[in-house]
Amino acid sequence: MIEIEDQPWREMVAHARKTYPNECCGAMLGTVDNGSKRVAIAMPLENASAGSQQQRYELRPEDLLKADREARRRKMDLIGIYHSHPDCGAYFSETDLKNSCPWYSFVVLSIQKGEFDHANSWLPNAEQTKAEKEELIYK
Amino acid sequence: MAKVLIPTPLRQYADKHDSVELRGSTVGEVLGALTKQYQELRGQLYNDEGKLRSFVNVYLNDDDIRYLKKEATQVKDGDTISIVPSIAGGAAVEAPAQPVTLSKDEILRYSRHLIMPEVGMEGQLKLKSAKVLMIGAGGLGAPLGMYLAAAGVGRIGIVDFDVVDFTNLQRQVIHGTSDVGRKKLDSAADTMHEINPYVQIDKHETALSSENALGLFKDYDIIVDGTDNFPTRYLVNDACVLTGKPNVYGSIFRFEGQATVFAYQGGPCYRCLYPEPPPPGLVPSCAEGGVLGILPGTIGLIQATETVKLILGKGEPLVGRLLLYDALAMRFRELKLRKNPECPVCGEHPTVTKLIDYQQFCGIPQHEPAPPPGVAEGEIDPVEVKAKIDHGDRFVLIDVREPHEYQICNIPFAKLIPLGELPKRVNELNSADEIVAHCKSGMRSAKAVEFLKQAGFKKVKNMKGGILAWSDKVDPRVAKY
Repeated sequence: MIEIEDQPWREMVAHARKTYPNECCGAMLGTVDNGSKRVAIAMPLENASAGSQQQRYELRPEDLLKADREARRRKMDLIGIYHSHPDCGAYFSETDLKNSCPWYSFVVLSIQKGEFDHANSWLPNAEQTKAEKEELIYK
Repeated sequence: MAKVLIPTPLRQYADKHDSVELRGSTVGEVLGALTKQYQELRGQLYNDEGKLRSFVNVYLNDDDIRYLKKEATQVKDGDTISIVPSIAGGAAVEAPAQPVTLSKDEILRYSRHLIMPEVGMEGQLKLKSAKVLMIGAGGLGAPLGMYLAAAGVGRIGIVDFDVVDFTNLQRQVIHGTSDVGRKKLDSAADTMHEINPYVQIDKHETALSSENALGLFKDYDIIVDGTDNFPTRYLVNDACVLTGKPNVYGSIFRFEGQATVFAYQGGPCYRCLYPEPPPPGLVPSCAEGGVLGILPGTIGLIQATETVKLILGKGEPLVGRLLLYDALAMRFRELKLRKNPECPVCGEHPTVTKLIDYQQFCGIPQHEPAPPPGVAEGEIDPVEVKAKIDHGDRFVLIDVREPHEYQICNIPFAKLIPLGELPKRVNELNSADEIVAHCKSGMRSAKAVEFLKQAGFKKVKNMKGGILAWSDKVDPRVAKY
């Protein structure tokens, strides 16, 4: 289960709307208690994909390293990654799966015609062959 | 001492530490010390082949070790090593960001294709964009996988859950002697990647089933059936018809093979040819009946040829024709196949509209009844037979296998009377004697015992487990086959 607090959730949606029709991406920082995750900070990161960003995103490892350091500094944890799917569903695509990492929650925001539509959280496996849906709570 | 920072989700495998101080002169040594201390971390960071997983990046202080000396990068006291995943993605499914092109290396590699107008750049790009799913990495899958990879088929999925054993090596040339004991998936993928590192290989370690077939087939353009059992053949056929994918079919037995393309552009399917499976046990498998090791090479390559033709859209596909090959006569024949309008799956009024239970359809019991433990009435243990021989007891041991099996291995004391000859040679036996019958595993000798009892013999017993059990329990020098 992953719960995103009001403030970071508003920032994530705003970030996804701002980059539309391109995909956005970022890190989620917070705490983990007995398997239930709580996101307190959304950290927008740059989409470093070299080609068209309408259907692609890429995170620079350096940026993730920064996010991890920021989390340590705040005595928090890097819990997950978020990104947007402009004008399509919040599924976990083949591209998402083949470039995923099993250690984090992957929150996907569906942005339809520039407005937030729905979101899902996914937990990919280590073999990058499938992802399970995780219960996602946001305001 | 170097400090390794542990990402949050991995701390559960490292006694909840967020960082660990370790010794080592290189990054590789430090990570080795880390995974030695916390063994569960190993599976998170390394794949089965001992390589860092594709999503794992390692940083020494602020630098990615890929741009230094990788795992041989020197580590000094006070250095910090970070484990950082590489993450990307996007909604793109059908439309990749980059159009498919060939690199300079690939152009060189495929040069003999590129200079033929029937393939050319257009065809080679079609091959690179193609997605083919192979069912099985055995006899047929071996030549198929190697040649499809060599030809540059961009994405090849393999469904297999078996492990390489010694009896495979006579024909499954994608696996070598040193692969015995490895997963066929890993061994096949290594061989294919060695031939052509530019192809993507998806390893599906699972038994194809009614639950997973449609999901697996969805991601591929062409399905190639390399299996040797009826339930899977019907399953592959029905799933191909339901998902609209061509089924490149091949089958082999002893010296004969068959190949065709089913369910392609309105052509017939396997059920048009065989609406019902044969009764269980009537058609022996290769394990039971044997197969010429080269035969799957020939048939698998016919399947590979048809697959490549379908991708290129060139030539005349083997649709509506069943190609029959007889290696002993060295002759090919063709049977015309017609689509059956009454076909239960691809006909005008299909009755099979979703996948069914194919084990049940083929009359195979869900759970084999377990053999009763111990030695049953009318049976004798090989150890007891050995004791009787050593003790000099008066009794007759008959071997009811075939003469060519007797040549592979035998129990010298035994008299060879093949099961089929038993009725006319029964007069060679004396009903006053105690008789023990054996075969390879105990099935045929049970039939022999049954026959002799009906012929009036009272003191007949079946040696439990046959010569295989003799090899296990009495004399390990006796070869198993």
